[in-house]
Amino acid sequence: MDATIELQNLRKRYGRTVAVDGLSFTVAPGKVTGFVGPNGAGKSTTMRMILGLDAPDEGSALVGGQAYQRLRCPLRQVGALLDAAAFHPGRRARDHLLWIAQSNGIPRRRVNQVLELVGLAAAARRRAGGFSLGMRQRLGIAGALLGDPPVLLFDEPVNGLDPEGIRWIRGLLRSLAAEGRAVLVSSHLMGELEDSADHLVVIGRGRLIVDTSVRDLLAAASGDRVVLRTSKRSEAMTVLANAGATVAATEREQATVSGLPAERVVALLSEHGVPFSEVAAHRASLEEAYMELTRDAVEFAASPGGEA
Amino acid sequence: MATTTADRHADRHAGWDGRDSFGRLVIAEWTKLRSVPRWAMAMLAAVVLTVLVSVLAASGNDYGGGGPGFAIGPDGTGVRDEFYFVHQPLTGDGGVTAKVLSQTGVEGESHEWAKAGVIIKESTKPGSQYAAMMITPGHGVRLQSNFTTDRAGSQATTAPRWLRLTRSGTSVTGYESADGANWTQVGTVQLPSLPRRVEVGLFVASPVAIKIERQFGSGSVGASPTSSTARFSDVVVAAAQPGRPAPWSDQAIGGSDRVPESLLGSATQAGGVFTVMGSGDIAPLAAELDVDGVRESLTGVFVGVMIIIAVAVLFITSEYRQGMIRTTFAASPRRGRVLAAKAIVVAATTFVVGLLASFASVLLALPILRANGLAPPVFQVPSLSDGSVLRAIAGTAAVLALFAVLGLAAGAILRRSPGAIIVVVVPLLIPQLIAGALPLAAARWLMLATPAAGFSIQQTTTQRYDFVSSICLPEDGCFTTGPWVGFGVLCAYTAVALAAGFWLLRRRDA
Repeated sequence: MDATIELQNLRKRYGRTVAVDGLSFTVAPGKVTGFVGPNGAGKSTTMRMILGLDAPDEGSALVGGQAYQRLRCPLRQVGALLDAAAFHPGRRARDHLLWIAQSNGIPRRRVNQVLELVGLAAAARRRAGGFSLGMRQRLGIAGALLGDPPVLLFDEPVNGLDPEGIRWIRGLLRSLAAEGRAVLVSSHLMGELEDSADHLVVIGRGRLIVDTSVRDLLAAASGDRVVLRTSKRSEAMTVLANAGATVAATEREQATVSGLPAERVVALLSEHGVPFSEVAAHRASLEEAYMELTRDAVEFAASPGGEA
Repeated sequence: MATTTADRHADRHAGWDGRDSFGRLVIAEWTKLRSVPRWAMAMLAAVVLTVLVSVLAASGNDYGGGGPGFAIGPDGTGVRDEFYFVHQPLTGDGGVTAKVLSQTGVEGESHEWAKAGVIIKESTKPGSQYAAMMITPGHGVRLQSNFTTDRAGSQATTAPRWLRLTRSGTSVTGYESADGANWTQVGTVQLPSLPRRVEVGLFVASPVAIKIERQFGSGSVGASPTSSTARFSDVVVAAAQPGRPAPWSDQAIGGSDRVPESLLGSATQAGGVFTVMGSGDIAPLAAELDVDGVRESLTGVFVGVMIIIAVAVLFITSEYRQGMIRTTFAASPRRGRVLAAKAIVVAATTFVVGLLASFASVLLALPILRANGLAPPVFQVPSLSDGSVLRAIAGTAAVLALFAVLGLAAGAILRRSPGAIIVVVVPLLIPQLIAGALPLAAARWLMLATPAAGFSIQQTTTQRYDFVSSICLPEDGCFTTGPWVGFGVLCAYTAVALAAGFWLLRRRDA
C-alpha cells in the first residue's frame, strides 16, 4: 500500500465544541511531518479519527487510500502511539506487546525484536506499572513499531522525556522516515520538532493554518532581514538609510536592516569606512515562526500586558 | 525506491500470519486475561472461597432426621401415612362404595387438602400400599395411590358425593357419582405387589396447616395440626367371593407421635351413618421438606460469583480506565468481534473455574450434609453420578459463565468498574434480601424475574407434588418452575446486555 495519510475536509464536534473544523492535508512517505498546534487545537482528535477510533461527522481520513476500519491487519499498516500510559500496570511489558502482536497475526519473535529496538529488552519481564515515564513512552513506541508499518503516528512522543530520551526519539523518527515511512508526529511545542520535522502541518481551533515544508516556513519567517553589530551604530544607520534600507535599532550596538541583502550592506559600510563586528542574515527559529503563525489561533492566550 | 521498500518488507515479514481470523482475537484476549496476576489470583480465590463457604455452611446445618412421624413408603422413601381408618378385611377381588354426606373442618376452616373417602390398603401398617378415592375441600374429587400418584376427578368440592373403588388383581379402579346411579370412572392405578387379603373401608385425614410468616430478614414457618370430620352413608363392601361379612374396626394410622391425642380421630356409627374424625396426611415426605442436598452443598457459589463478576467487569473497564481500549480497537477496528472474543474468553475461563468450584463443593459438602441428617429415607439425596447432580454442577459453572458475560456486557455499556459491578451484583442480592418480606407469590415472581433465577439449575429434586403443601421458600433458593426456566431467564438477560454492549461499542467513539 501507499504510505500516506490523506485527510479530506475532516470535521468533528463534541456537543457544542467544534474540535476539528474542515481539516484537509496529506502526510507523505519518507518524511517526518510535524503536526503542531496549541493544546486543544484538535491534534489528538484528528489522530483518533485517522485510527477509526472516533467517527468523523464529515469528511474522510484514509490510510494508504483506505478507511482504517477496512484494514484487516491494521497494525501492519499503521502504528500509533496515542497515550503512553495505555496499558494495564499489572501486565509484564512483553505480555502487553504479545497480545497486540497476536491480535494482528504478528509472530512472537517480533515482540523481542521491538523490545530490543526501543531498549527495553532487559525490562521485558517487568510489570509495566513500575516503569518510569521514559520507559512507558518506549513501551508505547514498541507497540507502534510492532507491525513494522509503513505509516506511523506519534501523539506527543517526547512529553516528559529526559534530554537523552528526546535525542533518541528524534533519531528514531528520522530513521523511520529515511526507511520510506510516512511519520506524523504531533506536538504543542514547535521547538521539539526543530531538528526532526521535514514538513509541518499547523492547526489552531481545529482549522489548518499552514501546511508547508520547514525550509519554506523558516525562509518566510526570516524575511530578507540582516542583523548588524557595530560600535558606530548611528553612522552605519545613516549610510544604510541613504542607500534605501529601513534600519531599526535593536539592542546596544545592534540594528536590523531590511531592504538590502547582506553583501550590499557589507559593501556600503566598507565603502564609507564604518567599522562593524558582524553582518549576518537573520535566521528565525521555528518557535518564532510558529508564534507568529498561531498568534490569532491560540484559544486561551494570555492577554498582553495583563489587560482584561 | 518504493519497490525496494516493498521487497524488504515482504522479506522481513515472511511467516507473518496474514489471514483475517477471529481465532487470533480470542488468543489475544486470553493473553490479556491470563497476564494480569491479580485476576488470576481472584479466580483462584473464587474457587477456594466457594468451596470453603459451602463446607462451612454444610457443617453448620443440622437436619435432625426430618422430624418425627414418618414412615417408609413402598419405594423406600419417607412418607406421611396418617389418617383415621374404619376398615374390614377383603380377600380377593371386590370393592367398597360409600356416599360422603359431609366434610367439615374441626375448629375453623378446613384444609384445602383434607381428605375423606374410601380406601383399599395393603395393611394397617403405615407406609403400606394403598389406593383411595376422596373428596377434598379445595381440589375436588381425587384418585390417589402409593403416596405419589394423584389423579383428578370432577371438580365437585362439596358433599354429598358417591365414591367407589374396585379391585381386580393388582389394579384398582376409582369411580365417582353424584347420585349413586350414574358412575364415572376416574382412573385405574396399579399396585404391583398387593396381597390377596387387604383392608378396605373409610378414611379421613387433614394435613398440618403450614403458616409462613415473612418479615424483613427472617421468615418463620409454623405448622399446626388440623382435623376434619366426615359423615358417610350407604357404605357397602362387596366381595367377589361370597362370605360372612366381616365386622368393622377403626383406628388411627400413624401420627401418634406428632398429633395431639384429641386430634388423632374417632369413628361412630348410628343407623348406617358413619361419623369419622381424622387428622394427618397421606403424602410423600420429600415434598413437604423441600431441602435439596445438592443445592445446599453449593451455598458458597454466592461468594464465588461476586468475585467472578468483578474480574469480568474489570476485564473491559480497566481498558477504558487506562485508555488501552484505544489500543485494542486500533488493533481490531471491528469492535463487535472484540467483544465476542472477550465474552468467549471470560465465559470459557469462568466455566472451568466454576466447574472446579462446584464439583469440589458438592464432593466435600454433600458427605457433611449427609452426616448432619440430610439423608434418605427422609431426604432424597441423589448420588454424584446422577444426571441431575451433574446438571447441577455443570449448570452452576454455566451460571457463573453467564454472570461473567453479563458483567462484561455491563462493563462495555457503562465503561466504569463500580457502576458495572453494582448493576450486576445488586439484582443478584436484593431479591435474596427482600423476598422474605414479600408475599409468597410476589417473592416467587421476583426470584424468577431477576438474573439470580439462573441458580434454579442447581435443583436436583425434580419430583415436586402439587397435591402436597410444600415449604418451598423462594429466598431459600427453591423454585417451583424447575431447573430450566430460571436458567433461561439468566440467558435472556445476558443476551440482551450483550446485544446492548455490541450496539453501543459500534456506535460510540472509543
